[in-house]
Amino acid sequence: MTEKRIKIGLVGCGQIADAHLQQIRRIPWAEPVAVCDLEPLLARQAAERFDVPGQFASIEEMLEVSRPDVVHITTPVESHRPLAKLLLDAGVHVYVEKPFTVDADEARDVLDCARRNDRLLCLGHDQLFDPTWLECRERIEAGEIGDVQHVESVLGYPLHGPFGTQVIANPDHWVRRLPGGLFQNTISHPLYRVTEFLSDDQPELQATWFSRFKQISFPTELRAHLRGEDVTGSLLFTSSTKPCHRMTRIYGTNGALEVDLNSQLIRADRVDRYPGAFAKIEAPWRRVCESSANLAQNVRRFCKGELHYFEGMKQTFLRFYEAILEGDEGPVSYDEILRVTEIMDRIFAECRKGDSERSEIKRRTRQTMSGTQTKKHSADNPEGLVAELSAGNGSQTV
Amino acid sequence: MGTRTGNRAMQVLLTGATGFLGRRVLRQLLDEGCAVRCAVRPGSDVQSLRDFVGLRRWSRAETVNVQLANPEQCEGLVQDCDVVYHAAAALSGSASNLVMNSVVPTRNLMNAASEQGVGRFVLVSSLGIYGSQELRRNSLLDEKCPIDPAGHLRDPYTYSKILQEEVAREISQESGLPMVVVRPGVIFGDERGAMSHRVGLQLGGLLLRMGGGQRVPFTYVENCAEAVKLAGFKEGIDGQVFNVVDDDLPTGRQVLRKYRKAGRKFRVIGIPQVATNWLARFNEWYSERTEQQIPAVLTRYRVQAMWKPLQYSNSRAKEMLGWHPSTSFDEAFEKTMASGA
Repeated sequence: MTEKRIKIGLVGCGQIADAHLQQIRRIPWAEPVAVCDLEPLLARQAAERFDVPGQFASIEEMLEVSRPDVVHITTPVESHRPLAKLLLDAGVHVYVEKPFTVDADEARDVLDCARRNDRLLCLGHDQLFDPTWLECRERIEAGEIGDVQHVESVLGYPLHGPFGTQVIANPDHWVRRLPGGLFQNTISHPLYRVTEFLSDDQPELQATWFSRFKQISFPTELRAHLRGEDVTGSLLFTSSTKPCHRMTRIYGTNGALEVDLNSQLIRADRVDRYPGAFAKIEAPWRRVCESSANLAQNVRRFCKGELHYFEGMKQTFLRFYEAILEGDEGPVSYDEILRVTEIMDRIFAECRKGDSERSEIKRRTRQTMSGTQTKKHSADNPEGLVAELSAGNGSQTV
Repeated sequence: MGTRTGNRAMQVLLTGATGFLGRRVLRQLLDEGCAVRCAVRPGSDVQSLRDFVGLRRWSRAETVNVQLANPEQCEGLVQDCDVVYHAAAALSGSASNLVMNSVVPTRNLMNAASEQGVGRFVLVSSLGIYGSQELRRNSLLDEKCPIDPAGHLRDPYTYSKILQEEVAREISQESGLPMVVVRPGVIFGDERGAMSHRVGLQLGGLLLRMGGGQRVPFTYVENCAEAVKLAGFKEGIDGQVFNVVDDDLPTGRQVLRKYRKAGRKFRVIGIPQVATNWLARFNEWYSERTEQQIPAVLTRYRVQAMWKPLQYSNSRAKEMLGWHPSTSFDEAFEKTMASGA
């Protein structure tokens, strides 16, 4: 019997590459054989710190010398399409860090390339394989909260953390060049936690973005609402609150579950069993029992060494590598990859449309104001001014 | 080298001018009559820098917005410069960020400096880069000690500084660019107190005092700035390395005592020197057993490098740079406390 073994390469040795290499190292039969970066110093630091034998500045050379079975792409998103296609055409399986591509057209192109070459491709929807999320899914599938009606997903972003400060400081940062800016890099996480419960290809959506910080010139907050045939969803991306939540609340016909990925907790809301004032005692009592159970579970997992921030990432890698070795489908379906990318495109388009409408309203208001100023100087006519402003604004609300 | 080149004031380039050390170096260079070009990142708070150095001095300074990680932007930056002072460095973040923001800019800037025929490149490195884990307890750490050969086993910041010097040395040797390296100890002063990792580690609201009897290689920021400045001026020191630490270094325990005297309160758990190794051993074992559920931040390698009792020498800086730490530790500490740091 041949020993189970898979050889891994990695392209792009920035910050997230550390997480990939750490998690790959936790899989005993996965062997990181090479790292590659256009900047040789970055490849060198990754190779030295994670004890990877090969370091390269050229992908072709890495493929030829180290012959990996899978290559992880952890470069900025603009390069995902060309790199993924190059690797798939070269006959290796590809794991792509989120976000998948710059837009859905690119996504289709890459997925077609994977199908054409009969190679597996996986996207980093890793929070879907976090143990807490998987437990929540099991409980929902077991009927604990009835039929899912609405999903609220929250992502708090540490804008003044190590990555955010770079984005703020550097106007040429690759994140600033994306159609969805700051959001495009991370919004897929809270979004796929919503779309898991939405069966619609094209849910109706409303979205807006804005900034809470005067000194930052790009939007830092995003709100989106999705309406599917059976389930609705909402998404909150905020960089102005603390702690930085990674939380999803799922409302069903018979209760609700809240998953807190940071604390690895699930909290349940159930229908009261007792009437009136008794319910006010029952509810906190249930919380006490639930918290005790959660505490016991997390202490147990701590002792067993199971509380890893990137556990979901390890589980995704594991499933992906096993699918490669066994010739199965990967853990994230191509349809879902495309659907999430399409919804992201629509969210950003909707936000940009809102921006244009607001600019237009401001422009027209300014125009009207200056016209009115002139009029006011020529004749004192307050009624006329109100009429002018109303006409200028049309029926839209600022 | 002096501060004049022919009839004109010496033109220098200073990176990291908005930083804790850089802004003091800038002030001292301007006081010497140098014309200083400050390379700053887009979006840097130049107004605050101008307020710091004062309007009178500012007339000889200029700022250039630049991303040093971009080699093309470095080319014009060093034009007509007699000396480049490279004090910019990332202090925190992941190893890749530190490499990208410290090592890559150093390489780009040095390549540009060697092409433009810059007279001297002054690199601000760190005292932390020595392989002090190999030294015996209480032995002397001076410029003759070897650099840590396994930098990747140290913390990300130290690793990036080790890599930075290695890259700088290679370029200097290959291109012939004259280089002087300054390795400051723990820099403290207004805005940044004296509570360094060398004293202890913060764990939530607790301070784990590591050892306590070992001397902490402090240098007051104004003293250090003077040493950096002199490294660009003195003749005949190309290729030299200078450790910069003050005289009369206090122990970690003495620093904490001073903080308490100044009215600061800490909840301190003292870890005896001998126990630091056991703590590190436990951290390594636990980290490995749990697949890094808690990373091995404290390793025996790092403990030996960081908290071993050593003697520090500044005699080379005194002899060759003519530097003397003009502010004593006690006076500097009082000033620092008075600033509210």
